[in-house]
Amino acid sequence: MEPEKACSQDLSQIIKFAKLDELLDLSRANSLWPLTFGLACCAIEMMAAGASRFDLSRFGAEVFRPSPRQADVMIVAGTINKKMAPAVKTLYDQMLEPKWVIAMGNCAISGGPFVYPGQYAVIEGVDKLFPVDVFIPGCPPRPEALIEGILKLEEKLTGKRRWPTVTPQ
Amino acid sequence: MSAPEVIPASDKPCETFVLNVGPQHPATHGVLRLKLTMDGEYIMRAEPVCGYIHRMHEKMGENRTWAQFLPNTGRIDYLAAMAYNHAYVAAVERAAKIAVPPRAEYIRVITTELNRISSHLVWFGAFLLDLGGFTPLLYAFDDREQILDMLEAVTGSRLTYCYYRFGGVCNDVDADFIRGCRDFVARLRPRLKMYRTLVTDNIILRKRLEGIGFISQEMCRKYGATGPVIRGSGVAYDVRKIEPYSVYREFDFDIPTFPEGDCMARYLVRMEEMAQSLRIIEQAVDKLPDGPVLSSGVPRVLKPPAGDYCFAVEAARGRFLVRIVSDNKEIPYRVRLRTPCFSNLSLFEEATAGMMLPDALAVLGSLDLVIPDIDR
Amino acid sequence: MVDYAGRGFHLNVCVWPDRVVAAAELLDRNGFALDAVTGMDWIAENEMEVVYDYFHPADSCRVVVRTRVPRSKPEVPTISQVYPGANWHERETHEFFGIVFLGHPNLTPLLLPEDATYHPLRKDFVA
Repeated sequence: MEPEKACSQDLSQIIKFAKLDELLDLSRANSLWPLTFGLACCAIEMMAAGASRFDLSRFGAEVFRPSPRQADVMIVAGTINKKMAPAVKTLYDQMLEPKWVIAMGNCAISGGPFVYPGQYAVIEGVDKLFPVDVFIPGCPPRPEALIEGILKLEEKLTGKRRWPTVTPQ
Repeated sequence: MSAPEVIPASDKPCETFVLNVGPQHPATHGVLRLKLTMDGEYIMRAEPVCGYIHRMHEKMGENRTWAQFLPNTGRIDYLAAMAYNHAYVAAVERAAKIAVPPRAEYIRVITTELNRISSHLVWFGAFLLDLGGFTPLLYAFDDREQILDMLEAVTGSRLTYCYYRFGGVCNDVDADFIRGCRDFVARLRPRLKMYRTLVTDNIILRKRLEGIGFISQEMCRKYGATGPVIRGSGVAYDVRKIEPYSVYREFDFDIPTFPEGDCMARYLVRMEEMAQSLRIIEQAVDKLPDGPVLSSGVPRVLKPPAGDYCFAVEAARGRFLVRIVSDNKEIPYRVRLRTPCFSNLSLFEEATAGMMLPDALAVLGSLDLVIPDIDR
Repeated sequence: MVDYAGRGFHLNVCVWPDRVVAAAELLDRNGFALDAVTGMDWIAENEMEVVYDYFHPADSCRVVVRTRVPRSKPEVPTISQVYPGANWHERETHEFFGIVFLGHPNLTPLLLPEDATYHPLRKDFVA
């Protein structure tokens, strides 16, 4: 075998060509930095997802950043009321592009159990304030559901799912 | 015991500035906001601003039936939801004169105490996170998941329980749960010892907490602070002992108190309380009687006789009082929730005057706040 | 005196609105701690009720002090100089019921937005 040819074969093992956009998407999807932003009950499940058993860092999304300038995904974990809404909107505006939003739990989706005719305090869904990419239902959703939500967001970014899905028997 | 010496802020008139902490800040455990008037590194006035997670629980009590309000009680203090379930259910039982079978009372005690431990474990992890130590959180959540597995098996949820019913509980516990309880008691005892060597005896922790954030007995009384806060000031006030409810009279357990009144005392109270809860669980599992878990004579449509009724329980953060007012209809006339964190936080302004900023955040952590519990 | 097992408190006291401070001082001298202050809207009788709960840190003794004021002029003197913990409870009762606590140092909304002028726990409240 000629040396040049062997060399190029080896190189093809380690060099891949792709569009820069795709590479950027892949790296973004692999290192989502969520905003440390707990509102209510769902925030505890968010903490549990980051802690020992569920270990969110397996998917590269454990780098919770308290500053919106450093975060690129906002996990809205809890009820937003009318007093809090301007603060949440400010946080979203302070995040740098590109940015994504996960609405975790029924309160962030629609106001959840706190909605009744004539209610005076709760914002009925975070999508009334800014666009949402992934909705995770539950009251509160399990940590696995949050992880699945993050995988769905990765899928949205890269266009394909990188992790296997489990189909129920 | 006199107040530990606080370094006084300078008397000279100087420039102050306002520092805003929250409503989104990792040290405030949720959406509490603190308006701090600072003189350099010293706090002149710390004013908590609440209401960022006000969820209308009391108003919702007035427009749904007695039973429909049950899920709300799991979402006030979501870390110790069982005790809140218990207080509301027991208040309605008191009003409607519903008897609870003994097995159900024992199950209530076991689940409440398990929930108290899981709540204290979250506090333990989060408090040390505030002080700059990340590792204990991972240990604490590891233990907590064991409790959540057991509670999930009987209640169906991990966090926001709605397990108690008027006249008992909705599911009976099985042999797996009993075995799980015994295993867990055997598991946590050595772990608590390990927490002692790993964290409690740590010199950095002691320097951060000892002599910091003195709260006197008188201050607790004037502000109505309860739970580990008042016990950390040396008052053995515990609703389980002073106004015994359910079957707590039948168990042998101590009320840990520490007279120092500083952050370390409140820390030690909670650590010791976990050991006492283990003792209660152990005894309750041994004594668990047979029989039904739900009283059979509860009417489907509940209309308690008119009047007002109270029920207080010892939740993980202190005294939780439910006052229900009935006008003999299917819907409560008024549900008043007196939550422990509300009173515990109200003394924050007085307790932190003249303190340095990082110490004030240690005090905030030692109060163990759950913000929806304050705002309701 | 009421039946504790049936109601959940030992002593139920009804006083005139101008005596709540005296009642608070008496309980303070006897070592009671403030539990809560709350309101109740009795719209049928056209009255507002203010309920003060006290507990004793060393004894099993719970005292409830009640007072009623007309709905058209709901004014009660503040007890926040006796029990500083009443400060927040009274602010909360004020914002939810519109009951005015005379002499209160800072009667601004606590849980509702800063500019809220509505009183949601009144029975005739419509959002």
